[in-house]
Amino acid sequence: MKALFRSIYELIGAPQPPADTPVYRDVIFPNIGLLNIGISLALVVIFYYVINRMMGVATFNKGRHWAIFLVINGLIAFGLAVSQAHAQQVTDHSYIYWLATWNAILGLFWFFIFSLILRKGSTNASTTPF
Amino acid sequence: MRYLSSFPRLLPALGLSLLLLPGCYSRSDMKTEEGTATKTPSDVPPTEVPGAVPVRTPEPTAEAATTQPLQAVNVFLEVSGSMEGFMPKTGAGGENTKFQQHVAQFLSEVNRTSAARQKTFYRIKERPYKDSYQAISGTVRSGIQQPAKSTDIPSVLDTLMTNYYRPGTVSILISDFIYSPKNAGAIPYIKTDIADALSQSGEKSDLAVSVYGYTSDFRGTYYPALVASGKKTNCCDTEIPYYIWVVGPAGAVRQFDAALLEQQPAKQAHFGVTYPQPNYSLLSKFQNKGSWYYGDAGASKRNAESYRVIAVSEASPQQPIEFVVGLDLGQLPGQYQDAAYLKQNLKLQGVDTDAKLLDVFAATDQNRASSGPESKFTHFAKVRLTKQPKAARPLVLRLQDQRPAWVAQWTTKNDATPAPKTFALSSLLDGLEAQGGAEKKPIFEVPLTLQPAE
Repeated sequence: MKALFRSIYELIGAPQPPADTPVYRDVIFPNIGLLNIGISLALVVIFYYVINRMMGVATFNKGRHWAIFLVINGLIAFGLAVSQAHAQQVTDHSYIYWLATWNAILGLFWFFIFSLILRKGSTNASTTPF
Repeated sequence: MRYLSSFPRLLPALGLSLLLLPGCYSRSDMKTEEGTATKTPSDVPPTEVPGAVPVRTPEPTAEAATTQPLQAVNVFLEVSGSMEGFMPKTGAGGENTKFQQHVAQFLSEVNRTSAARQKTFYRIKERPYKDSYQAISGTVRSGIQQPAKSTDIPSVLDTLMTNYYRPGTVSILISDFIYSPKNAGAIPYIKTDIADALSQSGEKSDLAVSVYGYTSDFRGTYYPALVASGKKTNCCDTEIPYYIWVVGPAGAVRQFDAALLEQQPAKQAHFGVTYPQPNYSLLSKFQNKGSWYYGDAGASKRNAESYRVIAVSEASPQQPIEFVVGLDLGQLPGQYQDAAYLKQNLKLQGVDTDAKLLDVFAATDQNRASSGPESKFTHFAKVRLTKQPKAARPLVLRLQDQRPAWVAQWTTKNDATPAPKTFALSSLLDGLEAQGGAEKKPIFEVPLTLQPAE
């Protein structure tokens, strides 16, 4: 698990400053990786199943509504990475924000993937975003 | 009520997300996860490496032994004529010598200490005479009543070794250690005489001697070692050295030194005393430079005193790596905590690396007050390297056991003129050193591992 997240997050380069490498690899990468997947999944479930199925809302199933959730997901992923890094008291470095940006992009990716998989189960939004 | 009937079908998805959310890692809960899986193999430097540096294993029993008080302490005070000047009869003005103040206090501390169970005091004449604390303290304060003839250091040592050398027991010898050989031709054999005296009653493998040197003003007759040069009455304007020797098994000597002799400033030299390996750790956020990090398994959750592996991601002459090793030398005698001694004798030995020891320095008040892990250490060794390691290689910091410089300064070949020097002191100490065997062991070794970053 740790090795997987490490390979994903080190695609943008090794953690900086180097002294904090073990903290990133052992703690921050697995944390933000798991939380990112979990939150993306939760937002997809809320969009397709809670809003567009259980609640039966008929006016929130357009591509732009889906995009709102996508953007929210990206913002959460960014904030999550920054707050996790600070929670582990790593040295301040611009790398934290590069990591957060990468985490946001990964969040968008997970949201998209989960959308493709789960949209079929929704009644009102089974064809959103396409 | 359509959504109610479909709710059960949502449960797996919700359950999955709930499972994922608490799957967070923190530094503490990972302790159990990996600590059991991998037995931190990188703790041990790889031994198969060609030219691997032999590493002394720390002595876990030594720590436990120090909690037990010593069985017994035997204090021997030399009361020959040459000691009279240190212990003159109290003058009209009530003045006394530094020796009297110091030794009286030392005897009192020995008598009161809880570091030893049984304390016995002796005056050394031709042989040791048992004395009470009050009597011996009185001798120091108000002068020697009946000075003995010159005592012979080798025979005193032989007596100590034969009759008073026991486990958990130390013998304390307070004397000026002026050794008068029978004639000038015997001077080259002083070393041999001492070595023989120490081993006459059988070889003691763990024999250790600590020598503490002091100086005191001196009022009386001065007897130089070379009798031919004649004694000097009404001596002296200069201070004369005297010594406290601690003789016994290595562990007991270390314990006694730490309990009673380390508090006060003194010159010191130690022979055969062994010390437990000090606590040490790499410090990744203390004066560090370049691209490296802790390479220990599970580095993020370790305690600060246990980082041993340097993982180098990049090193070149343009981008050198500098790292600091924190050492807690608080348990060692003052001599080995002296920054000048450490600078000279702390050596770095590595395999396939250009790592160099840049500096050794003591902790400042600022370091001690720091919230970082550096506050746990008394000394720091800074290392620089510019070559990327190709594989895991051992790197060892070793403190060599060197004769301290003061011994040479306090040694004289001719003590006819009173001076703060002792006749043939370094020859006497040579005799002690002969006990340690041919090879001098280092004071301590701290192994590290240098490896490329994963």
